[in-house]
Amino acid sequence: MSSGAWVGLALVGGVGAVARFLIDGAISPRREGPFPLGTFVINIAGAFTLGLLTGASVTGAWLFILGTGFLGSFTTFSTWIFETDRLAEDGEEGVAGANLGISVVAGLAAAGAGWAIGAL
Amino acid sequence: MTEDCLKLTIYFGESDRLGRRLLSDALLEAFEQAGSRAAVLLRATEGFGIKQQLHTQRLLTLSEDLPLVAVAIDRREKIEALLPRVQPLVEGGLITLERARMVSGAVTKAELPEQLNEATKLTVYLGRAERASGRPAYIAAVDLLREHGLDGATVLLGVDGMAHAARHRARFFSRNANVPLMIIASGSGEQVQDVLEPLGRLLGNPLLTLERVRVCKRDGRKLAEPRHLPERDEAGLGVWQKLMVHAAEDARHDGHALYLQLIRRLREEGATGATALRGIWGYSGDRQPHGDRFLSLRRGVPVVTVIVDQPDAIQRWWKVVDEVTDEAGLVTSEMVPAFHSVGPDIQRGGLRLARLRF
Repeated sequence: MSSGAWVGLALVGGVGAVARFLIDGAISPRREGPFPLGTFVINIAGAFTLGLLTGASVTGAWLFILGTGFLGSFTTFSTWIFETDRLAEDGEEGVAGANLGISVVAGLAAAGAGWAIGAL
Repeated sequence: MTEDCLKLTIYFGESDRLGRRLLSDALLEAFEQAGSRAAVLLRATEGFGIKQQLHTQRLLTLSEDLPLVAVAIDRREKIEALLPRVQPLVEGGLITLERARMVSGAVTKAELPEQLNEATKLTVYLGRAERASGRPAYIAAVDLLREHGLDGATVLLGVDGMAHAARHRARFFSRNANVPLMIIASGSGEQVQDVLEPLGRLLGNPLLTLERVRVCKRDGRKLAEPRHLPERDEAGLGVWQKLMVHAAEDARHDGHALYLQLIRRLREEGATGATALRGIWGYSGDRQPHGDRFLSLRRGVPVVTVIVDQPDAIQRWWKVVDEVTDEAGLVTSEMVPAFHSVGPDIQRGGLRLARLRF
């Protein structure tokens, strides 16, 4: 990978992290109820976009910068698990299980839909 | 020794700053310089203020600015001398003053606030590392309070503060041995009077405060309505009231965590603030003392939710509290003689102490 791609990765990675913070900060305070919708929306949007990029055959430096850099820092596995654990701590085992299951199913569906659209 | 004292409480946000300094650091430094008898900085688990913005440790993005509660206790003159230094620092938040009797040194004779007909709130200020009869002192103290029949006790661990006039601060790389903690307990006047001497013997050199409260609910059973106080005293000063709801984190209402339901309902109905503090140990009503259990996903610690508002508003929030605590929960109400809320373009109340006879 060229040094320009590495610089791009670092910059775009930062933008992804800021975008996640702003989007989650806009969704979460408006919601009541225990389901962590902000993180869910971010992860599904990320899965869809990564599907779109690979479906559109984006490769090399651009996939490195946009996929690994932007989507890698935009989406979050750790927050998904952290918030699931907090749900279980609060005795919301049902919502915790749903957060795991629905995220996996919706994530696969979003990635597949993104890939199909990208490949058109 | 028993003295008249004031409890200064400041509710604010973890990320509030004064220029480049954290407000929490500035406040605790002011308490330290004033040589306050006891001070505790508590980090809440969930809450909202006058802007109705939810802060919670449940969601990562909303947990970077959790509510903080800073408490300082001292003789009345010393707190009054501290106020002009502290008040200008708080640009957004709530400051309250409450009267209490402070008991320190060798506790020989129990002296209680004038009226014994209502209940008494007993607060014990300790360091976490203090030990009593071979056990952590706070665990031994909670057992003693329960043996004497008090309605409940919750141990709140500080992240910074002062115990026995020395500053102890929790740090990331440290054993954090003697960070201060407070035990908030309530019971009838007689029960509290009876427990003072054994508690003094157990703890050696304790610092305690006594305040008058009313126990409204115990284990979800209604014992009394909060007193409906007038909005102003005879001198025209504003009167405020506080409701405290003690419940285990695993206590439920409508199938959800009780304290989360309470915060959600209060926010929906337009309350101007509520703060939930998670304890490390405690009990309420007939339950055994409890904390976190090893290898258990659900948390078993006690949680205290605090609501402070004007008397008419407190009657509304009491209805919400009453509904949510239908299965569990210990609820107390008390008068708050001074309340000053500051926000963007908002100023409510003031810090002159109201006086009511009831």
